[in-house]
Amino acid sequence: MANLKDLKTRINSVKSTQKITSAMKMVAAAKLRRAQEVAEAGRPYSSRMQQVISGLAANANKSNAPELLVGREDVKTHLLIVVSADKGLCGGFNGSIARQTRQEINRLENEGKSVLVYMVGKKAADNLGREILNKTFERIENLQGSNVDYNKVKGVAEKILLGFADNQFDQVSIIYNQFVNAITQNVVVAPLIPANVVGEQENESLVVYDYEPEQNELLELLLPRNITTQIFSALLESSAAELAARMTAMDNATRNAGDMIDSLTLVYNRTRQANITKELIEIISGAEAL
Amino acid sequence: MAESINIELVTPSEMLFTDTADMVVVPGSEGVFGVLPRHAATLANLQRGEINVYNSGSITRRFFIDGGVADVLPERVIILAERAVDLDSVSIQQLEERAVNATESEASFIAAVKNAI
Repeated sequence: MANLKDLKTRINSVKSTQKITSAMKMVAAAKLRRAQEVAEAGRPYSSRMQQVISGLAANANKSNAPELLVGREDVKTHLLIVVSADKGLCGGFNGSIARQTRQEINRLENEGKSVLVYMVGKKAADNLGREILNKTFERIENLQGSNVDYNKVKGVAEKILLGFADNQFDQVSIIYNQFVNAITQNVVVAPLIPANVVGEQENESLVVYDYEPEQNELLELLLPRNITTQIFSALLESSAAELAARMTAMDNATRNAGDMIDSLTLVYNRTRQANITKELIEIISGAEAL
Repeated sequence: MAESINIELVTPSEMLFTDTADMVVVPGSEGVFGVLPRHAATLANLQRGEINVYNSGSITRRFFIDGGVADVLPERVIILAERAVDLDSVSIQQLEERAVNATESEASFIAAVKNAI
């Protein structure tokens, strides 16, 4: 039978774990509100940028349009930007990113392309470990949460554009967790190069625009900016999603700890009762023997 | 009263300004131009400079942007700017705080903003 003292220690240790998880949940919930506001404030810019690019692309002359828009004919190498968290303890957040990345790598390799990865955040890189050892284009950390900074993201985008111009890769897409609401995050794979221009053409192409400067020149100016914007908004979404995932995970952990404390306390009380009964029996049978 | 035009000034981190006005003047890369209601649809690249919002003949709001793009339709203007500052509410002190650990390009933008105030 379990020893009373051991049970007590066990209960206390679960209790202190519960305190930690519930504090983490609280912190995540508080930060989430802020991150959600930031992510939502960033949406108008990226959606309008997308709209402008789509409108431009719909009217563009495809034959001499920039490569960033139409892509390269011969795709040898594909760059995947993988956005995960720097910290763990957020449920399936990093795991689902890693799983999607693995799938994406397999799919691309089956198509005969070689794959490079740009790891943003520490955890997916840890998770994928050796699988991406020879594929890593670059790793970067400390870009999430309150550290999301447009100027830093611009640096990332510039590096990617240089790599593209240098023919290190011919296609780029980004994998990240999109924030839907506090309990749902969606893993999204979005193309960056060639630019994603679906959906908006119908309403925009009706208007005949004046372009200043020329259309293609304008595209050359805007497409690089668009890449920065898309990465930036992906990071904002991912940061909010990470906090939401952590909040849910820690809420579950707190509840599980509570259940565990309940069942341990039950065992503890039963054991204590059994001990008392045993002692009583011993006393009574001792008294009867006299 | 004459018609008015919807203006949106958007930066990556926020919707800085959205309102209607009589006219807005933006710093196009091929020359500063004013946008009145029923302006022809235009997509223009913008350079660093001031955005002035006019109401009944005088400037009511002033912003400073570090380049961007203006999407003009007859009834509205959307200005997308990577960096923008509201000249009416920003103080020299705030700018100096921002300049402390700014990158080179941001520092030059801040210097330009100071001149504009």
